[in-house]
Amino acid sequence: MFQFKWLWENMKGSRRGYIIALCLSVVCNGLYITSPYFQAKLIDTFISNDNAIENLKNERTLFWWLIAGMIGLTFVRTVFQYACNMYYETASQGMIYNIRTKLFRRIENQDIAFYDRFRTGDLMTRLTGDLDMVRHMVSWVIKGAVESIALFTASMVYFFTIDYATALCILLMTPLILIIRRKLSKFAGPAYREVREKSSQLNTAAQENISGNRVVKAFAREEFEKEKFRSRDEEYRKANIKAAYVWLKYQPFIDVLAGSLSVVLLLAGGYFMIQRHLTMGQYVAISGLLWAVSNPLRNLGAYINDFHRFVASAGKIIEVYYFAPMIVDREDASTPAERLKGDIEFKNVSFSIDGKKILKDISFKINAGETVAVMGPTGCGKTSMINLIPRFYDADSGEVLVDGQGVKLHRLHALRKNISIATQDVLLYSDTIDSNIAFGDSSLDEEYVRKCAELSCANEFIERLPERYDTIVGERGVGLSGGQKQRISLARALAVRPAVLILDDTTSAVDMETEAAIQNALSNELDFECTKIIIAQRISSARNADKIIILDNGRIADMGTHDELIRREGYYKQIYQLQCGEEEGAVV
Amino acid sequence: MARNRYDIDEQLEAPFDFTHLKRSYKYIKRYKGKMIGALVLSILAAITGLISPLITKHALDVTIPQKNVGELVLLAGFVLVCNIVSVALGNIRSRIMTVVGQNIIFDIREDLFAHLQELPFTYYDDRPHGKILIRVINYVNSVSDMLSNGIINFIMEILNMVFILIFMLIVDVRLTFVALSGLPLFMLVMFAIKKHQRRAWQDVSNKSSNMNAYLQENIVGARITQVFTREEENAQIYDNLNKKYRKSWMRAVKFSNLVWPSTDNISTWVRAAMFIVGLLVLDPATVSLGTLSAMTGYASRFWQPIMSISNIINSFINNIAYLERIFETLDEPVTIADKEGAKDIGSIDGNVSFENVTFGYEEGIDVLKDVSFSVKAGQSVALVGPTGAGKSTIVSLISRFYDIQKGRITVDGVDISGVTLKSLRSQMGIMLQDSFIFSDSILENIRYGRLDATDAEIRAAAKAVCADSFISTMSEGYQTQVNERGSKLSGGEKQLISFARTLLCDPKILVLDEATSSIDAKTEVLVQKGLAELLKGRTSFIIAHRLSTIRNCDVIMFIDSQGIVEQGSHDELMAKRGAYYELYTAQV
Repeated sequence: MFQFKWLWENMKGSRRGYIIALCLSVVCNGLYITSPYFQAKLIDTFISNDNAIENLKNERTLFWWLIAGMIGLTFVRTVFQYACNMYYETASQGMIYNIRTKLFRRIENQDIAFYDRFRTGDLMTRLTGDLDMVRHMVSWVIKGAVESIALFTASMVYFFTIDYATALCILLMTPLILIIRRKLSKFAGPAYREVREKSSQLNTAAQENISGNRVVKAFAREEFEKEKFRSRDEEYRKANIKAAYVWLKYQPFIDVLAGSLSVVLLLAGGYFMIQRHLTMGQYVAISGLLWAVSNPLRNLGAYINDFHRFVASAGKIIEVYYFAPMIVDREDASTPAERLKGDIEFKNVSFSIDGKKILKDISFKINAGETVAVMGPTGCGKTSMINLIPRFYDADSGEVLVDGQGVKLHRLHALRKNISIATQDVLLYSDTIDSNIAFGDSSLDEEYVRKCAELSCANEFIERLPERYDTIVGERGVGLSGGQKQRISLARALAVRPAVLILDDTTSAVDMETEAAIQNALSNELDFECTKIIIAQRISSARNADKIIILDNGRIADMGTHDELIRREGYYKQIYQLQCGEEEGAVV
Repeated sequence: MARNRYDIDEQLEAPFDFTHLKRSYKYIKRYKGKMIGALVLSILAAITGLISPLITKHALDVTIPQKNVGELVLLAGFVLVCNIVSVALGNIRSRIMTVVGQNIIFDIREDLFAHLQELPFTYYDDRPHGKILIRVINYVNSVSDMLSNGIINFIMEILNMVFILIFMLIVDVRLTFVALSGLPLFMLVMFAIKKHQRRAWQDVSNKSSNMNAYLQENIVGARITQVFTREEENAQIYDNLNKKYRKSWMRAVKFSNLVWPSTDNISTWVRAAMFIVGLLVLDPATVSLGTLSAMTGYASRFWQPIMSISNIINSFINNIAYLERIFETLDEPVTIADKEGAKDIGSIDGNVSFENVTFGYEEGIDVLKDVSFSVKAGQSVALVGPTGAGKSTIVSLISRFYDIQKGRITVDGVDISGVTLKSLRSQMGIMLQDSFIFSDSILENIRYGRLDATDAEIRAAAKAVCADSFISTMSEGYQTQVNERGSKLSGGEKQLISFARTLLCDPKILVLDEATSSIDAKTEVLVQKGLAELLKGRTSFIIAHRLSTIRNCDVIMFIDSQGIVEQGSHDELMAKRGAYYELYTAQV
């Protein structure tokens, strides 16, 4: 079975421990069966024996040996049991550890298609609840199943040595359980998949509510959210009950079947005794150990049920585990020189998402060290265009070149190391400001972090925070204003000293004065050479660029310098007039 | 409390004590009837279970020696019937308890979620969101069994123990004391283990919370990780958290796994002591062999429930670590709440005034000092000034997202601290800097603004903000499923959707905090034309940096770290030649 192969694969490093654990649990069960021996012998010899009183006087040594045996065996057994359990825990934790680290790396390296498909809450379910189900399988279900099978087999063999006819009667009952198992399997699987789905939805509802708590409050939607969550929770509850009821529907049959082994023994054993075929001693021996046959039968049902739960969960994990990103290193990709120069060229690039044309036949060239502004209406493809440079997407046709080499021929990691983006949607980590700025290179010293903050005009407000650079900002940088977050994001982008610096609407929430200061710093004060691409809405952000690219509906509508563009009719001139044009004469 | 980070354990404010038990009872109480029913069923099942051995004994002693096959079949039938009855009773109990268990966690989760809705921004700002999420979902799930079946089983085992104790006392008081002699030792061992075990499981809950917090941040921030090629380093951090979790888990099970073996050993010692005392110490004349035989049997049975109880307590201890976290969250103070006797503010006109308002997010650091202004209903107000001066703070105070330290904020002359939050906020439309998109259709995302809006109204709102055109070009139009991190919406498009959402709620007071920063200038002009119509009859507060957005407002307030330094219309402020004049001329 594929799921087991997958488990085995991930058990690398703990396989030996797991096998030891499985063997130990068989041994422990063996010891468990034999442990009543000493007590039985004590009772036989010193209590129920006809010569009990004489025995007690004459066989003192035996008495003490039996007592010692009783205590000693229990001690040995419990030590084994403890070791066995710890082996199971070590092995299963080792396996879960492996799966977790692999999943994390997998998730980290996915491209956007993955994130369109899997929601945060859903991924969280897979890495928490589902993973716990896998752990349960390895440390509990497989263990239990192996123990049950061992116990069942050993006892049956023992019964056959005592009396094959009685043993056969008992064994005949067991195929019935297979029929029930098949029925159970048919319904348990779908029921647990349903639980899984609902749990994922519940998780998503909670996750989005927590992340979007500001919006919830802004619209006073608390009641609505509660209702929404409640209905998800209700569905989850119902799915859980339904799944439990599937099990509870078949469980009585399994239990009755397991329990009726004693009926069979009474009937068959009794009949054979009447026939003088079986002795009382043999009967007692079998009935004393009947639990070792009936309990495994009983438990196997529960294990099968758990198994289906495991399959439902494992499927969800495996889906992510093997989800291959589309954008990966080509085999012939090379690691470029330590640092790229920063020449960028688009050659007839077209690009679409889900069949929707985003970019059409884009061509332009940016020389290393130049500053280029990209402007255009909302949704015209600005962000998509710059996302092609570090290969967050691959173009459908045409070619994107960096330093004269197609981006696909660069190793992904090396390429991205040279490009840094201050993204539109600023995401900060719940960590100190210092660590957030040094995100791209955690070896940066404090001085350089401060320098980057100064360049992006963030130093001043950071110094005013209670713990300055050691202030922990919340997830998504909550607690900071939009402009402040953008400036930290800019500092973070500068800190890696990239060859290509991309600012995706990075100063939109920053006031004019600060923006001017930032622009000045970017053009005059950087201690490294870089090509700058600035996506902006404001003329003030774009006017000093060496080149301004106007995108419209996925095409390059115009290209030129500020002076060139304001001289001809078009988008740029219109914006210019809107934002400052008409009053320029009046004020200046 | 200082802000929490993914790698910092959260301090537990109130460890588990008896008040927690009482609180747990609150959730159990509702199902008391059902639980008592389940308990009765369990007792009945146990009694039925006792009948079978009696019948079997009769068969062996009487029927078989008499070779009465007919009676043997009859008795076997009886055993079967007992078995079926006992299984049926157990099954009904399980059905009841499944529902009870699910209902209990449903209730807890509902309370927890409802409480989270009341908690202020600061609660969400102060800790990674993953830590909140795991409490709502995973922690609540884990306490289900403890609060339902755990309790019933606990009571059953206690009853069991008491019954056997009574039997033992009837048979022989002295030997009963021998059997009980293990108890103090048992308690001592349990107590010693418990001390470490409790702390160990608390540590597990902390470590799993840390690990999952980091995971969630990395799912949300995957793109940033890729931009800065931090994949390997983040994976290392996660590995580290993962290792810490595994270590804490192994430490915890090291203690937990000790419980069962220790109990097992003690029980063996007690039985050995019974033999020694009964056979060697006590006067043989006073202890019949029959008594001794019965007593050793009882002693084994007496220790079985104790061992079960120790197991139940064991799992209680694991789960209490989760339960106390849940209660801790429920105890988190609701700092922004309706005051006692808060009134519905009624339908408002939209006059807003600040009277000597002083406010700071953290004690001792005032963001606003003695701020006063007043705005008449229907006026549009622009807030301009450097980032971080407190513009967003002012607007968030109007909707009472935070409570002020000094002064008064009134709407239509009514102090907002004395009215219900819902009545106030539901008449305000607030568009935040972060436009949060729920994973749902575009239609539903806009409808969030007003739940009873018709599809036509939603379309109209989208048209007003010029979002209709891009929505119509999407594959499924308004039904297109979008999500927070997905590729389907650009930054500007997200803002437009969020904008439409805000307008849809038809607010008396409209707050636009950088609402159009990512929208291109041309669309913005179109939006504003539509807005001019929409703003009529509403008081609006607009925070923006683009002067084209600001110019047409009735009142412009210039805010810097000194507070409101200038206030007036565009023309007035331009004539004044102050800060606004400088800002304006700098931009053009």
